[in-house]
Amino acid sequence: MKITFFVALLLGFVGVLAAGHFVPWGSHVRLPSQTRVVANGGRDERFVIRLPADRVAVAGANGVGLRAGAAASPRALPAALTSEPLLVEHFKIRDASGNVVGLAARHWSADARAAGTAWALMLPSRGALLLTSPSEARGALEAALRRAGYNAGSAWTGDLRVAFTPADAQTAVVAAGSDEFAGLQGRFSEVWTITGVSEGGELRGTIEIDTVTRQGS
Amino acid sequence: MRYAIVGLLGFLIGAAAGGAAIYYNPLTQARASAEVADRALHYALPGEVLDFTLGEAIVPPGTPKREAVLWEETIDRTALLSLVLEDARDRPVAVASRLLAVSPRTDFLLSGVRLNDYWLLTIPGEGTLFLRADTNVWPFLKETLPVWYFGAPWKGPTEYRPTAGPSEDGTAVVIGATGRFAGQTGSAVELYRLTDLDGASRSASATGELDLRLAAHRVASGE
Repeated sequence: MKITFFVALLLGFVGVLAAGHFVPWGSHVRLPSQTRVVANGGRDERFVIRLPADRVAVAGANGVGLRAGAAASPRALPAALTSEPLLVEHFKIRDASGNVVGLAARHWSADARAAGTAWALMLPSRGALLLTSPSEARGALEAALRRAGYNAGSAWTGDLRVAFTPADAQTAVVAAGSDEFAGLQGRFSEVWTITGVSEGGELRGTIEIDTVTRQGS
Repeated sequence: MRYAIVGLLGFLIGAAAGGAAIYYNPLTQARASAEVADRALHYALPGEVLDFTLGEAIVPPGTPKREAVLWEETIDRTALLSLVLEDARDRPVAVASRLLAVSPRTDFLLSGVRLNDYWLLTIPGEGTLFLRADTNVWPFLKETLPVWYFGAPWKGPTEYRPTAGPSEDGTAVVIGATGRFAGQTGSAVELYRLTDLDGASRSASATGELDLRLAAHRVASGE
């Protein structure tokens, strides 16, 4: 009887410790990576954001355009942070097949001293990527929409592609990565395809982020 | 039958002892070493939160139901937080986005409950920084869960230093992304002080501080 008790006690003790150590408490569901091999080396991976479904939150300074006003966060930026052109956006991101695979934050600023765009992409099962590029011009999307016939306050439909990264591939770069993306270097492009704007200014369309990376030396 | 009952009793006592060993395990208290910061930014929770979105699978039971935004199985154990940070004179000077995910490095025996904690931190007029931190929330959970769910008395306020890597000294990695920070690297540590715990609403209030230290210029793009 005593032996039974102590063996069971040991089993319970060791079982809980083993569960604490060996059970993969922090693993995430992983979908197959939608990567393609590039002919001259490296790999190509596309991430897609569908608007408005994948927009989680946005906070922006005054006058930064439709993207700031379309789906405001519960709280706005304090006045002290709105004197400079600044836009903070949060999205879900999808793979090329349209499956949600992660989250992203995009910070854009266009003031004279610190202009630039930074993306942080987090794929929970794979790691994170930091993408940086020169910032697109203030109001770039609105200007392109106006050229395509959009008038503020009225609905618009069409098919407009706006590249937010410069054609110069050297300045839109994959700057850092973690876990599976650690050590990758490369470039990226960011293209917004707008197919509609509601009367309230909500954008419909997609953002495509194409990365071409290779292992750094 | 008597053997089964004795066995079950032994197993339950052993399991409880195992749970206690995990709860009081000093190995899961690992944290960053103290370091002198170039710059400290602070924030208050929930006062300076712009937006907080929690994955469906990690919403604490019993908290008020909200529309689940992060419901997909690939992101249901993640969170998104945006914050305003202030300087030493309590002026808002920065905005941060935090992308958080439960880390595969979570281990109740050796490292605690780890989060992959990625920050995008923009200081208008200066630029944007990217931070990568391993955050150990186990000390926080050990204190809050008994108060929230078992009505245990709270012995706060309490200070935490949750940053536990990925650098060898336990600090977070900082990479300059844009503006004057481009090309710089550094380290960071987060500290916070839990100031209030409400068992009824399962809420908490805290003040936090991010200590940044920018040092060497970057040698390579990858980590």
